[in-house]
Amino acid sequence: MLEVTKLSKQFTSGNTTVTAVKDISLRVEQGKFASIVGRSGSGKSTLLSLLGGLEAPTSGDIVVDKQSLGKLKDHALIKYRCRTIGFVFQGYNLIPNLTAAENVMLPMEFSGRPANERQQRAVQLLKQVGLDHDKQQRKPGRLSGGEQQRVAIARALANKPKLILADEPTGNLDEQTGKMIFDLLHNLSRSENTTIIVVTHDLSIAGRTDQTFRLQDGALVKKQHPGRPGC
Amino acid sequence: MNVFSRGVRGAFRNGIRAWAIIGMLGLSIGLALSMLLAHQAVGQRIGSVQSSVGNTITITPAGIRGFAGGGEPLTVDQIAKIKATAHITTTDQVLTDRLNSDGINLQSAIEAGSFGRRQFRMENGGTARSEDPAAPPATFTPPITILGASAPLSADTTASGGKLTLSSGQSFDGTKDAAVALVGTTLAKKNNLQVGATFTAYGTTFTVDGLFNAGNQFANNQVIMPLPTVQRLSNQAGAVTTVTAHLDSSVNLDSTTSALQTALGDKADVSTQADQVKTTLASLQSIQKVSLFSMIGATATASVILLLTMIMIVRERRREIGVLKAIGASNVRVMLQFGAEALTLTILGAVVGMVIGSLGATPVTALLVNNSNSNSTSDTTGRTIRFDAGTSPSLAGGGLRARLEGNGTVRGLRNLQANVDGTIVLYGLLGALVVGSAGSMVAAAFIAKVRPAEVMRAE
Repeated sequence: MLEVTKLSKQFTSGNTTVTAVKDISLRVEQGKFASIVGRSGSGKSTLLSLLGGLEAPTSGDIVVDKQSLGKLKDHALIKYRCRTIGFVFQGYNLIPNLTAAENVMLPMEFSGRPANERQQRAVQLLKQVGLDHDKQQRKPGRLSGGEQQRVAIARALANKPKLILADEPTGNLDEQTGKMIFDLLHNLSRSENTTIIVVTHDLSIAGRTDQTFRLQDGALVKKQHPGRPGC
Repeated sequence: MNVFSRGVRGAFRNGIRAWAIIGMLGLSIGLALSMLLAHQAVGQRIGSVQSSVGNTITITPAGIRGFAGGGEPLTVDQIAKIKATAHITTTDQVLTDRLNSDGINLQSAIEAGSFGRRQFRMENGGTARSEDPAAPPATFTPPITILGASAPLSADTTASGGKLTLSSGQSFDGTKDAAVALVGTTLAKKNNLQVGATFTAYGTTFTVDGLFNAGNQFANNQVIMPLPTVQRLSNQAGAVTTVTAHLDSSVNLDSTTSALQTALGDKADVSTQADQVKTTLASLQSIQKVSLFSMIGATATASVILLLTMIMIVRERRREIGVLKAIGASNVRVMLQFGAEALTLTILGAVVGMVIGSLGATPVTALLVNNSNSNSTSDTTGRTIRFDAGTSPSLAGGGLRARLEGNGTVRGLRNLQANVDGTIVLYGLLGALVVGSAGSMVAAAFIAKVRPAEVMRAE
C-alpha cells in the first residue's frame, strides 16, 4: 500500500540548510495501523506532510497505492489529497462557520460528489463516530474537543480514502477522550480496511498499533514490532 | 452548500466587522456615485449651454450700446467684409431707431418712471438731477424702439434675448421695403392694435402684419419693420446697428471671431455668447473635474478598503486555506470562495452606496455648484450678470448679457438636478465589480502562495 524509499527532505533558509527527513525507507501494508513516534523536531510531521503530498521530497520516492507521488503533477496531487488521503490534525482544523455535517461534506464537494450523496454520507459517518443529529448540526465552537476530533475523523473518511494520516490526533485531548479517539481510528482501520498512519509521542498509543516507526533527528532509528514501543 | 454560498456565509463570519466594512464601502461607493451623478449633471448642463450658445457672432458698432455712447453705425462696406469672412453662411441685420410721440402715433406701454424721466432730462440737455428745469411733461412716456430687421423673426431682433413668437398674424420679408410691421403684444394692447390695423410712423402709414411676444416687457414694447424701410425713413441708407453672423459650425466660433476682429479693426465690437459664458463654463468644467477626480478617489478608496480587508481576512485565515488545500481543494476553488466573500461585501456595499449616492447626489451637486456661484455668475469683466424684467442694461446690441439670463442659460446653472437612471445603477454595479475584483485578486494572489503543508507547521 505505502512504500517509502530513501526519502529525504531539506529546508533551506538563507545559508542554512536543515535536513528534516533523512534517507527514510519504510513500508506499510493495506489495512494496517502504523505509528510514527519521536521527539519534537524529529521530523514526524514533515514525514507526514511528505506522505500526504503536502510537501515535495528533496530526494527519494513515495509510492501510495501503486502511484509514485514524485511523478504526479499539481492537479494529480490535488486529486490524490482529495481521494486517496484523509487527514486528521492535532488541532482538528474544522471550518468554524460550517456545521459538523457541512465540514464532513467538504472533501466530497471537492471530489465532485452530488449534494444528496454528500448529505447521506456525512450523516452516516457522523453517526458512525458517535455524533447524534443535534451535534451534527452544530458548529465546531459548540462541540467539545473530542467531538471536534470525531468530526475531523469523519471528514477524513468522507471520500473513502485508502490512507489516513493523523498528526497527533489525541494531542489536545485528555487521556480518556484520547483513548476513545484512538479506539475509533483502530476500529475504522479494521472495519474499512483503511491504512492509518498516526504520528504520536504517546508511546502507549504507539504500542497498540500494528507497526511503529521511531524517528530521531529526521532518520528512522528503528522499526519497532507490534505491541512493543521499545523506547 | 457550494463554494459560492460558503463564500457568502464566510463574509458574515464576523457580523460586526462585515457590516462595518459594508458601511465603509457603501460610503465610498456612495460618494463615488454622487460624484458620477454630479459629473453627469454638470456635463449635461455644459452640453446644453454650449448648444444654446449656438454658432452665431454678434457684431455691433464700436462705442455704441443701444442708444448710449457715440460713433457710427456699421456701413455697407463693413457688412460686406463680414459677409465675406470665411465660415459665415448668413447674416441677420438690424437697424435700431427710437421714435417719440412726434414720430409715431403709438403710446409706449412702459411707464416712464424715475428712470425714464432721468433719461429724458439727460437727452434734452439737462442733468440727472430731478429738480432740473428740463423735466419731462407729465404726459411723457419713453420713446418706442423701432427695429428694422432683415429677419424679423430672429431672436436677435428682440434685443433682450426672449424667444420671439408670433402670437397672431404673419411675418414679412425683412429685406424688402414695405410699410408693414410686427408689433409687440404689450404695445399692441396699450394702443388697441390688432392684425390688419394701421398706425403712423415716420409720417408713413404702416399695416400691422402680426403681433409678437418676446417674453419680456421691454421687447414687447417694440415695433419691427423691414430693414430697408427703416433705413430709408430714418435717412440711414445701408446702416445697421447689429449684425448677427451665422457660422457653418460652432467649432469655428473662435477663429471666425478673430478673423472678424482683424477685418473690422477697432470700428466694431465682435462678440459671441460663447465669450460671455466662457467663465461660467470654465467654472462648470472645474466642477466636472472636481467631481471626476473625487469619483476616482472614492472608487480608489473603496478598492483600498476592500483590498486591505481581504488581505486581513486571508492572512488571519491562512491556516483555513491550508486545511482546505490539504483536504483536496484546488487553488481555484479556494480563490472562488474568497472571491465570493469579496464580491458579497462589495455588492452589499454597492447597494448601500447606491442608496447613499441617490440621496446625496443632488445635495452634493448643489453644494459643488453653489460653491462656484460667485465665479459662475460673473462675466469676464467681473460684472454680475443680472436681468430684471421691464428694464434692459441697454438696447439692441447691448442686451447680450441680459440675453444670457433671459434664455435661462446662466440662471439654470443654479438648478442642476442629478438624476439617477438605469445607466448610473449599471455604472455603480460595474464599479462595485471592479472594486470586488481588485479585492478578490489580492486574495487570490495570497491564496495561491499558501502551501497546504503550512497547516501542519502551525500545529
